[in-house]
Amino acid sequence: MRGVGPLVAAVTVLWAVVVLVSQVLAEPPLSPVATMVAGVALTNVAILGYASTLRGPRQHRARPRAIPAVPQDRTDDGDRPVGLTDEVVDAAVDLLMPLLGGDAVSITDRHRMLAFAGPGHDHHARGSALYAPARGEVLATGRTMTISGRGDDVIGCPEPACPLRSAAIAALSIGEEVIGSVTVYRSTDDPPEPDLVEAAAGILSLHLALAELQAEQRLSLDFELDALRAQINPHFLFNTLNTIASRIRTDPEDARQLLVRLADFFRYAIRQRGQFAGFSEEYAFVRTYVTLEQARFGDRLHVEYDIDPAVLGVEVPVLVIQPLIENAIKHGASGNVGRTTVRLRARVDPLSRTVRVVVRDDGVGMPADTHATMPVARGPHEDGGVGLRNIRARLGLLFGDRHTFEVHSAPGEGTTIHLEVPMR
Amino acid sequence: MARMEMGPGSPRGPEEFDGASEVVAAAHTQRRIALGYGLVFVLATLSVPVLTLFLPWWSGSRLLGGMSPSFVVVAGGLYLFFLALGIAAATLARSVEDRMLGTSPDDDGSPG
Amino acid sequence: MSGTDTVSLAVFAVVATVVSVVAWRHTRATTVDFFLAGRRTGMITNAGAICGDYLSAASFLGVAGAVYASGLDGVWYATGFAAGFVPVLLFVAAPLRRLGTVSLPDFLAVRFDSPQVRIAAVVAVELVILSYLVPQAVGSGVTWELLVGEGIGGLSPYATGIVVSTIAVGGIVVIGGMRGTTWNQALQFGFLLAVAIWLAALLWAGGFSYPAAVEQASTAPLQAVVGDRLVEVPNQLTGAPARFGTPGARYGPAGQLALLVTLVLGTAGLPHVMNRYFTAATGRAARTSTVWVLALAGTFYALAVMLGTAARVLVAGRAEEPWLAELTVEGVLRVPEHALPVLGRLLAGTPGLAVVSAAAFAAMVSTIGGLLLAAAASFGHDVVARIWRPTGGPREAVLAGRAAVLVVSALAAAVAIAVDPERLLASFPSVIATMVTWAFALAGSALTPAVLLGIWWRDATARGAVAGIWTGATTAIGALLVGLVIGANPSDGLTAVLLAPAMIAAPISTATIVVVSRLDTGPPVSPRVWTRMHGTAADRQAERMARITLRGRG
Repeated sequence: MRGVGPLVAAVTVLWAVVVLVSQVLAEPPLSPVATMVAGVALTNVAILGYASTLRGPRQHRARPRAIPAVPQDRTDDGDRPVGLTDEVVDAAVDLLMPLLGGDAVSITDRHRMLAFAGPGHDHHARGSALYAPARGEVLATGRTMTISGRGDDVIGCPEPACPLRSAAIAALSIGEEVIGSVTVYRSTDDPPEPDLVEAAAGILSLHLALAELQAEQRLSLDFELDALRAQINPHFLFNTLNTIASRIRTDPEDARQLLVRLADFFRYAIRQRGQFAGFSEEYAFVRTYVTLEQARFGDRLHVEYDIDPAVLGVEVPVLVIQPLIENAIKHGASGNVGRTTVRLRARVDPLSRTVRVVVRDDGVGMPADTHATMPVARGPHEDGGVGLRNIRARLGLLFGDRHTFEVHSAPGEGTTIHLEVPMR
Repeated sequence: MARMEMGPGSPRGPEEFDGASEVVAAAHTQRRIALGYGLVFVLATLSVPVLTLFLPWWSGSRLLGGMSPSFVVVAGGLYLFFLALGIAAATLARSVEDRMLGTSPDDDGSPG
Repeated sequence: MSGTDTVSLAVFAVVATVVSVVAWRHTRATTVDFFLAGRRTGMITNAGAICGDYLSAASFLGVAGAVYASGLDGVWYATGFAAGFVPVLLFVAAPLRRLGTVSLPDFLAVRFDSPQVRIAAVVAVELVILSYLVPQAVGSGVTWELLVGEGIGGLSPYATGIVVSTIAVGGIVVIGGMRGTTWNQALQFGFLLAVAIWLAALLWAGGFSYPAAVEQASTAPLQAVVGDRLVEVPNQLTGAPARFGTPGARYGPAGQLALLVTLVLGTAGLPHVMNRYFTAATGRAARTSTVWVLALAGTFYALAVMLGTAARVLVAGRAEEPWLAELTVEGVLRVPEHALPVLGRLLAGTPGLAVVSAAAFAAMVSTIGGLLLAAAASFGHDVVARIWRPTGGPREAVLAGRAAVLVVSALAAAVAIAVDPERLLASFPSVIATMVTWAFALAGSALTPAVLLGIWWRDATARGAVAGIWTGATTAIGALLVGLVIGANPSDGLTAVLLAPAMIAAPISTATIVVVSRLDTGPPVSPRVWTRMHGTAADRQAERMARITLRGRG
């Protein structure tokens, strides 16, 4: 009733004006048939106009509440930060290796090695002790340091055959607290670029804060829904980081813009508290994400948006559209050597009060049974991101039967996802 | 600890920029809006001479004292209509721009 | 009566000079400053200046005169002039400003990335300006002839009016640059609006009833003076005698449609009005300015229509007064354009007449100023700085612009003096409004299609735009010449379309652009241009800087 109230009022006023003007004020009055035609025409205009107006708050809503401060009472011994599972750190060092310009990469917590890749991995295995004295200073101060030289007071490795001769060490932190380090080693005396290492550590730290936050949210009252909330695919993170790192020298302005977008991306993902957000906010999130992906894929990825202005004022479930786009890009651009087009189309039906979102890609498509069983992402999964089943489950919890979520896909024919949810 | 600059760190914040494909989408939506309002404008303006030709009541009857409905609309009503149309179109266009381009403004400036 | 009028014209000249001198002191001689006032003009000031550019003598004297002469059909001039800004608001204002260029040809050249487009647009722009300047000069000559009645230095009164106004306005533009004229334009529009409101207030105070006046004017058949006697005006729709409050006194269906389409399409291609949009702070400010223009111009036109109606009734009632008897035949004005000045004298005596004629002169002067500046911008910036001597620097462009002002105004004055106003006045009852319509037709046919398609169609190419501009211009000029030669009837039928040819020329131009662009293998618009034209990054940046500045102050 709330939604059609203005329309009812407008039609009533219109008819009152038509009758007043044509029957009461005018001399002679207009013929009844012409009055009817005029009234019906104006009513139709009102209905069409109502369908195309932009509802919802005129201004941007007040930002969601700030994230609660991370509790500082975390015990140091034994339990590692939530985000630093073995799989995460292994994937991270493998990904960081080629792009940080070193021969070996390690991630540690405050006391021991968590993951190591590169020459020397045999004796710097997971769980081994930390040798470099400089790392203690990094962990204490949070500053990035470079060291070079073989001695006990430099690299400090007791194994005589160890080829590592120089390193750059940067701190990993959550909030103000340093919880570990990222180290890049070289087998020459010329240490790796400390800025790159520090940038990588900064991104990883952000990811840790996110993971920390989500771990706490699981304990909150709406456990069911919060447990399904998005987690950022680490592959996306590292790919983006890779893109940015590769442009820092060639196109610093471009790299800077990408960093700003990456910050926007995280800010939105971290700060979202409710289950719903304005479509325009979700759309901004999607655009941020697409900009980052386009930086990586270049001309191979083409995204077309077709947005009904009326849909911009509507509220939709949070973090649903971006994963659909991510899914489309994953099954389009990643596997496809040629150019891929992803289309996002959003419409609103004001009378049935539904929002329709269609995401279509012309990529390789999925076999019919894959999408039904696509795993719910839980931390660092090889498929990563928020799977379609995650969205399916959340929509089911939010709307019950009052929504449609259909995936049409066939190998070689691309994928189309139809989503239809009620307006709030 | 040296931190990367993320978001509104410096007082001016990062420079604004638009991505090509989102501008294409925004221009497309703006064109739909403009064409829609343009159609309303054309139909409303043309309806006056059309009514003159086909509805004798339009120019023959008396509405306010000595004025016919046609005179009332042409001498005053249409200007009000143009203004109302203009306000509606400008408001909608601006609000669509706000929502389709740029990121949400962080007026509080403090990410918490 | 010439004594009072000279005083009031002198007062007006002093005011204009003072504003111009004040503005000059703030103006540095860079190209952008001279042509565009440094882009810092406030929103309502800018809207007022747009109205000042737009409302010429054709609007001030012409609309009231047309209503006086033709009743409801005369109102369509006012409607068409006001309606022209709706497409500007919907389709043009924000993207035009956002591309961040200096003039209409510059806009088209940057959008299509082509010097050929620039040349074609400059030619079209100069043609539009010239055909808009000539009727303004004719108007100033006619006004001088009627109100001062004396020539200076052996010239006829008509020629004196043209020469005086040309020298005055040319001087203001050359010395003051655009900031001078932006403030001038806004000030002069404020003056016009104030005069219209003042006359309306005097009417209300005298117990005037608008509906009753329409009723009273409509009782008898509409009459017009031809030679020295009254004839009844035939209704173009029914053939019966026309009446004030009913349609048909001036146009049949085709004539009315042709006029309306011409005025609505023409506005978006008028260089002096569109140039004013480049002085808005942001694209959004340009759009909001247009909303203000709709409000201000709508108020002005609604008042002008009412004043024309009042003149019809009041002049007939007091025709026995000796000064009025000279100007009328049995209570009907010989020249409909006299309606407003005469109304001023009826309501407030000779000071009223003086004020109204000063306002009419202000309308002409501000429009001529805007036109000359547009001519200067398109010549100085587009021809000299961009094509002829790209290495010449801003000083040279400003000098060339000033030279262009002198040349174009001299040319327009010469054409206006050469035109035989007696003969033209005989064949077209409201010659100023009619000639202005021709400028609208040329702008709407040659420039508007290229501007609209350039803004909204990514596949429009440079070759398409060049072909469209040339086709539109030649079709419009050709149709007009054919219409004048065969003595077309401006009121109705196919020949009426020839005299307001945008209805045929604009679709032909549009079709040409579409077809040539489709056949063209050239590249579509560059993403950079498209992003700049439709993106809001610059707007957001400007607004954020403004917010920070405000916060820093507060």
